[in-house]
Amino acid sequence: MTSKTRYFVLTAFGILALGLTTGLVASLAGGLPVAFTRAAGPDDLSYVPSQAVAVAYANVQEVMASQLRQRLKKLEPDTSDRDDFETKTGVNIERDIDSVVAAMLPGAEGADHDSRPLVVARGRFDQVRIEGMAREHGGTVEDYQGVRVIAHSSDGHTMALGFIESGAVAVGSAAAVRGAIDAKRSGRSVLSNTELMRLVGDLDNSNAWVVGRFDAMAGKAGLPADLQSKVPALSWFSAAGHLNGGISGTFKAEAKDDEAATNLRDMLRGVMAMARLQAGDKPAMKAMVDSLQLGGEGKTVAVAFSVPAEMFDALEAMKSKSERRPAEIR
Amino acid sequence: MSTAGVTRPTPPSLFGAARRVFELSFGEMLWSRRTIFMALVVGGPVLLAVIFRAVESFGMPAMRVNGAPVAGASIFGVMIWMLYLRFIVPVLGVFYGTALMADEVEDKTLTYLFTRPISRGAVLLGKYLAYLACTSLVVLPSVMLTYFLVVPFGQVAGTFMSLLMDLAILGLGLAVYGAVFAFVGARFRRPLVSGLIFAFGWEQLALALPGYLRQFTVAHYLQALVPHALPNDGTLSMIQGLFRQTPGATVALSWLAVFLVGFLWLAMRTVSRREYVLEQ
Repeated sequence: MTSKTRYFVLTAFGILALGLTTGLVASLAGGLPVAFTRAAGPDDLSYVPSQAVAVAYANVQEVMASQLRQRLKKLEPDTSDRDDFETKTGVNIERDIDSVVAAMLPGAEGADHDSRPLVVARGRFDQVRIEGMAREHGGTVEDYQGVRVIAHSSDGHTMALGFIESGAVAVGSAAAVRGAIDAKRSGRSVLSNTELMRLVGDLDNSNAWVVGRFDAMAGKAGLPADLQSKVPALSWFSAAGHLNGGISGTFKAEAKDDEAATNLRDMLRGVMAMARLQAGDKPAMKAMVDSLQLGGEGKTVAVAFSVPAEMFDALEAMKSKSERRPAEIR
Repeated sequence: MSTAGVTRPTPPSLFGAARRVFELSFGEMLWSRRTIFMALVVGGPVLLAVIFRAVESFGMPAMRVNGAPVAGASIFGVMIWMLYLRFIVPVLGVFYGTALMADEVEDKTLTYLFTRPISRGAVLLGKYLAYLACTSLVVLPSVMLTYFLVVPFGQVAGTFMSLLMDLAILGLGLAVYGAVFAFVGARFRRPLVSGLIFAFGWEQLALALPGYLRQFTVAHYLQALVPHALPNDGTLSMIQGLFRQTPGATVALSWLAVFLVGFLWLAMRTVSRREYVLEQ
């Protein structure tokens, strides 16, 4: 073997060995050292307890400022409830809330059917006004770990709101709000839940997303048992969307094994091919169906989608047609 | 003069002889004109990955599908499917596999190999192993570089097993296609044309047709092992996706092993029996 050949072989083996070692270290450590990468997701995830079965996030300001939201606003029939909420609490959802992190926590003894919701909202809140309104309606205010927590009981359930830091509130069941305060203090938040955070880390630059355990969410969503049995065994799912003129996003699901994922991909491929045939003569529908992209690897199945602005044009046209119809009858 | 007491050196075993041919052929194959072609083919994905990384480093998503940015791991999956599995592996198999014996015939150097005290089958086996080492040492590092350029560091832990599978599948692909085209090169008069027709004509057509014809392709079994989703990159992909029947991993691996051993044995047998006539 000439020295030229020997150098070539050594270089090729060197590249392979370096790559394999890096990948192996990353796999065993659950990710590369933190120095190389910042924690995925918004900072408010540090308020979500580690046992959360699902986490969602929305950048409210971006969503509210999107062209799509402006268009949908015109279709809103009645805003009296929202106006009433603003009058009582001083909170205008569109103007005063910047972002929301929502989580589903398992109930007592880990029971999914009794899960507790938690919402951490960041924005501008009038604490005095909100406390006053709560007291007027029979609420109590207590101090928990140095945090003001307003609690209100009805029908055996206690809901609470905690002013966890300046410009941030936690809302949910009393146990969930206390759990949020404990999670932040102890550092045992969802940020230490490697499986869930792996999915959060995989999300792209989206202004709204949700990740969670499929079985817990399927039970909550009330999917028929028949349908649940037909969907190949899924363990985790995530959905991320970006709102602007239309909606684009990705839905990902993680199956229990590679075979289940392959089956699901084959099933979806068939459904998408069928949808393409059906949408042939409807331009708005065709644009949406053409945007569907099936992806994923190993145990992951991913479907990217895009609902174009034309779809909402069609919706607006349908609404204006339905408004005109009574006059035409007269 | 008596020859009694003079011991003839025992000829090397099949694998010993193949090792000698491998040592001779590896360097020749690596620095042949064909290597320039291989460097261009394999350098393409790395170049694309460098461009991708450069665009991403400016904070712009390098690839969007209907306005939504596509994750690096998904782009890597598409590159494995479209560049490596569908193009690079078959094309290297065709160009190198068909040339294993054809080059020696063309250069009129076959006589020097065949007059050595080694079996003809060992010549082919040694050359085949040189092909496998040569292509694997170029393709696999290229895949590794592409992976680390395209997939963000944060996603390495979650996708590393897929990378290991990709490397194994591509190595297996090079081995099986190499064996198939080594036989084509040994058996047929115009091996390059026959090989190209098989890889890019027959295999593509058979995968798009419903029925059992796909079972007579290498791609059917190789693609069944890929951990990434089949990309929707055109009408042919859509049709292939619609009629796709994925065999289980055990079935796919078994058939690939049958193809590998079967075609390699056929190629060795053909070389041992065929009468090569060198044009003067």
